[in-house]
Formats: sequence, structure tokens, C-alpha cells
Amino acid sequence: MSTTPLIHVVDDDPSMRTALLLLLGEVGFEVRGYSSTGEFLLQPLPDRPGCLLLDVRLPGPSGLELQAALQRQGIMLPIVFLTGHGNVDSSVRAMKAGAVDFLTKPVKRDILLDAVQRALARDATQRAAREEAERVQTRFASLTPRQREVFDLIVAGKLNKQIADELGIAERTVKREREQVMAKLDANSAVDLGRLAELLQRSSSR
Amino acid sequence: MQREQRTRNCLTPISRYPDVPHGSKVQWLGLARALMTALVLSCIALPLHAAEEEAHVLMLYGLDPYLPPFLAMDKAMRESLAGETERRAVYFSESLDSQRFAMEKLEPELVALLEKKYKALRIDVVVAVSRTALDFFERHGEQLWPGARVVYMGFLGYESKPSALPPGASAVVSFLDVAGTIDIARRSQPGARRIVVVSGAAEVDRRAQQQAREALAKLHERVPVEFLSGLPLPELVARVAAEPPDSIVIYLVLFRDRGGRPYDPLEVLRAVVKTSRAPVYGAVETYIGLGAVAGSVGSYESRGRLIAEQVRRALAGGPPDPSRTVLAAPNRCVADARALQRWSLDAERLPSGCEIRFKDVPIWRQYWWQIALTLAIVAAQATLIVALFAQRRRRRVAEQTEQAQRAVLARASRLALAGELTGAIAHEINQPLGAILTNADAGDLMLDSGRDRRDELRAILANIRRDDLRASEVIQRLRDLLGKQKFERREFDLNDVVSDLESIMRAEARRRGVVLELRRAPETLAIMGDRVQIQQVLINLVLNAMDAVADESEVRRTVVVSVAKGEGGAVLAVRDRGRGIAPEHRTKLFESFFSTKPTGMGLGLSIARTIVEAHGGHVWAESGPDEGTVFQVELPLAIANGAPSPRPA
Repeated sequence: MSTTPLIHVVDDDPSMRTALLLLLGEVGFEVRGYSSTGEFLLQPLPDRPGCLLLDVRLPGPSGLELQAALQRQGIMLPIVFLTGHGNVDSSVRAMKAGAVDFLTKPVKRDILLDAVQRALARDATQRAAREEAERVQTRFASLTPRQREVFDLIVAGKLNKQIADELGIAERTVKREREQVMAKLDANSAVDLGRLAELLQRSSSR
Repeated sequence: MQREQRTRNCLTPISRYPDVPHGSKVQWLGLARALMTALVLSCIALPLHAAEEEAHVLMLYGLDPYLPPFLAMDKAMRESLAGETERRAVYFSESLDSQRFAMEKLEPELVALLEKKYKALRIDVVVAVSRTALDFFERHGEQLWPGARVVYMGFLGYESKPSALPPGASAVVSFLDVAGTIDIARRSQPGARRIVVVSGAAEVDRRAQQQAREALAKLHERVPVEFLSGLPLPELVARVAAEPPDSIVIYLVLFRDRGGRPYDPLEVLRAVVKTSRAPVYGAVETYIGLGAVAGSVGSYESRGRLIAEQVRRALAGGPPDPSRTVLAAPNRCVADARALQRWSLDAERLPSGCEIRFKDVPIWRQYWWQIALTLAIVAAQATLIVALFAQRRRRRVAEQTEQAQRAVLARASRLALAGELTGAIAHEINQPLGAILTNADAGDLMLDSGRDRRDELRAILANIRRDDLRASEVIQRLRDLLGKQKFERREFDLNDVVSDLESIMRAEARRRGVVLELRRAPETLAIMGDRVQIQQVLINLVLNAMDAVADESEVRRTVVVSVAKGEGGAVLAVRDRGRGIAPEHRTKLFESFFSTKPTGMGLGLSIARTIVEAHGGHVWAESGPDEGTVFQVELPLAIANGAPSPRPA
């Protein structure tokens, strides 16, 4: 997996698009250009760090519509909007929907690269969280049904005795299962388990 | 001298002939008359044929009949008689010229001659001009012209009294108004210190002089008077020439000097006037014009007319009217403008109503009515021309004002359009500006990389240049649309206007999510007019169409602009797939301040129509429910290139 971030540029103006690709390429990113939202959606999206530089006004569906569509598909690619004539309404909508920034053309290099860096940072964060969640998920999957029951009750804040009573098993058995769960999930404390539970809940709710 | 001698040589022998016996002539004439009445068809004398229809008038002159006053009098008489008598007047004339010939010696032969001449000719009326002629008629009339009535023209009033006339005669007399003439002279020269009266030694001359003496005797003021009577011409001229300018010279008449030498009174006057320093006055009409200043004169023309009256009465026969037996020609003041000027006399001093002759009549007075008419026509034409020019100018000013106002309004409307298009325009400009900045930044980074990347940099610069031109093109289009205020008349292709729409409206269409479809015509559609204004009309219609489809589903958000050649010229059509125009709005569509849009001013379509009509075209809308609306603009094609070129046979 390449570590060079891939920047997607969607702009219908060929000049602008070319210039952006050139600049970002020069900075060291890998770049891809699209002239419309449709063109972007038709391309398979590689799983690698990156972000999306998106024009608001585009022929056909707009940048904002693309943003919504990506969210629906669970694609978390951070978006930096770049518009020729921004208005408050569309910028508010974009930011509420999670855009990294909303820039107006002509845009200065520093501001653009800063926004791109922030987008990549967010992407990295999201990506790390997602990887951890996946890791936790894998470990969680290795738990036995009994162990899952014990996990749920621990996370619910129950003591070993209460768990033993609730499950109708010996407190000693509970203790042993608890150690197993801690080992399998690579946790050191009940607090760690609670955090993992939260992570699992978030990823499973997606 | 010579004439005098010749007269004697020729005439003296004739005077020896004896008088023709009276009796034999009467008998002969009686026979002739008998013959005349009996033998109507006889050829004895040709004039007899016409005897009954013609009136025979004999002019008998005692003096030279060719003297100008007589000619004027004769002319007036004949003109006055012409057509006035039942019978056509035929004139004969005889002259005794007694002033220059010794008539007493010639008379027997003359009578004999006349008897021969007139023995077969009836004379109805004899006009005897001068006393000499009347006397001759009295002596021989019955013999020569039996039955003839006589009309006497006495040109000097003192010659005739009604009692002195022969029975049956009538007379026209004029008085030599010496008194009146002296009066005129005194008025004209109030400061005159002397009066000199010039006359001759002939009997006529002496009578005139007598009259002058009587008139002068009646003068209230005593002014020294000197009479120069019968002087030979050279002496007379010298004497008059010696008179100081403040004298008055009254020239009466001079037929003979005291040595018996005959003169033409008019020639004498001419000679006297020539050298006189003092103004010369005269009482005879013909003197005025020959150098005399003024005088109270009787007109020979009026005498001629009075003679005609007497002749007419005589021809009519019947008893003479006692009250009209003697007719007196009136005298009046006549002056010579040239003479007045010569002696520096003031015409104002002359009696009122004095006729000033020989005035240098200014041409405008002579031809006053022709000139007035010409001037009136010229003035009328000039007025008309000026009026037409003024009207034309007013109309031009009005047209220019209207055009200017239309241009201002159109520009205001374009500014409003530009306001609507601001977003799109900003986008159109920002796009290349953004590209330029980004390209510049990329170039910067390339330089920082330290490697030789000249080709890549050159490509970047090319891109920058292209984008810069693109931005300036947008600005130029905006300037075209907004900056211009004057109406310009040029030929352009309507297709280009549609193509321009692409660059102007593309961004706006994208912003609104509307598909803008442009369809050019295959052939050139040349229009004469203001391209920017037509552009404005089209933008207006396209914006309206975009508004109409704003709330429609995506498939209906389409605006089609097409241009094609129609029957009446080029037709632009803007078609949308909106909801159409409500029927109640259709009639008000093109009115000012009518708008269905919440923010609409209601000027766009009204200005569009104004512009189209100013180009000689018209604009209309067709709309059906759920079918959308078509706005069509028909514009006449320019004659030069618009007309289809003839195809080769």
C-alpha cells in the first residue's frame, strides 16, 4: 500500500483543474482529476490516504450533492470545497456536512495546502480509528459466547459477583473468563474495555 | 432762312390764282349729291360706297399738325372715338401751317385744290385746330365741305368766346393759365426778386403776353417784372442767361421775333433753358419735359378726349346743347423732376397734387406689383423652406432625443441584467484568475525544486497567458454590454449574437442547473443595427426562460435558443419548458412595470420590445399550458447582404 496521499480534484474548468493537479503534484502528492461528480463516482476509489478537492458548481450534480452521496456510501474521504463564487448558504451546508474547509478561488497556495494537510490529517485519524476498530472487531470475534456475555456485563459496570449471579455461574469462572477477555482484547483494565466497547458500538452502528 | 426763301419761291405764284366762284361749286355739289343718292352702285368715287356707314372727320390744322401736343391730342381723340360712334370714323387731315407760310397769298390755290379733293367726298365733321383753322372754315367751309359741322379746338383760351363761334359750331378751349403758372413759380421760389416774362412778336405771342400782364397785375406782392418780347433768339438767350438764379423766368410762347422770323416755340424754350441760371416756367404741357420746371397746364390728352365728345355729338346730329357748346380743358400743376433738381428747387413747395414727371422712378416703384409678387413668392418659399427645415430639425432632435433616451434606458436595463448575472460573471472571471494563481504557485515550486524544468515552466506560462486572456475577454464582453451608451448602427450576423450567448450565459445556466441549447442557422443572417442591444434582448429572454423553468424538474430545465431565416426576416426564438404564461398576463407582457416576479422591475420585456421595434422588427410570445413558452423576435434582414443572391441559371 502506497503511503503517498492521493488527492482527487473535481473541477469542470480544465485550466483550474490542470493548475491544481500541477501544484499538488509538485508538492509531492499523487493527484487525479475529474471534470464532474459523475466522472469521480465512476472511478473506483483506491483505499489509500487522500482527500477530495471539490468544486461546488459543476455540470450535473453539484459538489454538495456529491458530498451527501459519499456520506451515504460511508466513504469518509475528507473534502475541501473550492468554489469560484461561494455564498454563505452553500458554505454552511458544506461545513455542517463535515467539510474540512470551504475555499474561494483564487486560492493562495499556503491556504490551499494547509487545508489539504488538514484534510489528510483527518483522513489519517479516521483511517487509524477505523483500523483500530477493525482490529478490535477481529479480537472481539475471537471471544466465546460466554466471554461476550461477561464482556457486556463488565462494560455495564457489574462486579464479578454480580456477573456470576446474573449468569448463574461461579464467581471463579467469571474471574477466569474475564482474564481471557482482557487477554484476547489486549486490555489492562475495565476502563480499557469500556473504551473498546464504545469503539465497537460505533463501528457496528455504521 | 433757307426755308423762308423756299416758301416764297414756291408759294408766291400760286397766290395769283383767282378764287373759285361759289355758285358753280354749290350747283355741282348738289348734282353730285343727287347722283350719290340715286346711284348707290355708281363708281364715281370709291368712298361713296361706304358713305352711309362711315363718319368722315376732317382734321384741319392751322399749325403744324406734327407738333407733339397735337399728336398727343389726336391720339387721345381717336382712341376716345374708337368704338364710341355708331359709324366707323375715317379721318382726313389738312394743314394750313399759317405760322410758317403766308396763307393769305396761298389761300385761293389751296381752296381750289381742296375743292378738287373733296368734291366727291362728304365730310361730316371738321375739327378746326387753332383760330386760323376756324377762320378758314368760316370763309370756305360751306363751299368745300357743305353740311359739315365744325368743332373748334382753341388752344389759347382768349381766342374764343361762344358768341364768336360760327352757328352750329362747338368748341374745346383751354386757357393759357399764365396766372396759375406764375403762382406756381412764386410758390416754388418764394424769395424770387425778379420775374422775367418771355414772349414773341406774333399775334398769338402778344395775346399770351397780354394775359401775363393781367395776371401779374393781380399779384399782391410787388415783384419787379421785365417783359422780353419778340427778341431774336440769340439776344433772348443771352438776356435770360444773364438773369441771376433767384429770378423767375416765365416762358409764354414765341412763334415770331419782332423781325418777323418764325420760330418753333419749343426750340426757343430749349435754347433758353439751356443757359438759364434762373428757373424757367411755362404754361404749356409740352414745355414740361423740354426743360421748364413747372406750370399750370392743360393736358392735350384731355383736350383730345373733349374733342372726341364734341365730334360724337356733332355726328349724332340734332340741335347743339348750349351748356356743352364750349368745353374747357382743366389746367393743373405739372412739374419736371429733372428741372427741379437742376435748379435745386424743392418739390415740397409746389402746390399739393402737382404731378411730378420724369422722376427717376425707382424700379421697385415702376414694377411694384411684379416685384411685390416676386418678393411675396420668394418670401413664402423661404418661409416654407425655413419651416420645413425647422420641422425637420425638430423631428431629428426629437428622434435623437428618443434614441438617446432609449439608449439610456436600454443601458439601465443592461446594468440590471448584469446585476442578475453577477454570480455567473464573477465565476467566469474567478475561474481563470484562480487558475493563474495556482499555476504561478506551481511554477514557484518547480523553481524551488532546483532541477531544470524549463519545458514544464514554459507550459505553465502558456497556461497563465491563456487564462489571463480568458479573463480579459470576459471583462471585454462585460464592457461591451455595459459601457456603451450610444446607439450604433452596424451590420452583424445574428448567429454571432447567439454564439456570444454561450460565453455570457454558460456560467449562469450552470449555476441555475439549466441546460442551455444554442442552435445557429446554417446561413449568414445579416442584420443592420446595434448588436449589443440585440444581445441584451436575447439575454433578457434567456434569463426569463431560465426563471420560468427554475422550479421545474431536471428534465424540464432546458432553454433552447435558435435562430433561423423566416418569411419576414431573421427569427430568434427562445423556448422554455416551463408552465407557460397565464392568459391574464399575456396582454400585459410587454408593458412597462409589469412583472410576475417578486423582485422584477417589469422593464426587461418592455425595453426588449422598444429595442426590437427600433430595429424595425417585432417581438411576440406564444404559450400553451404545460407546453412552455416561445418568445420570438423577428428582425428585417439588411438589404445589402441579406437579400438572397441570384442563382446562376
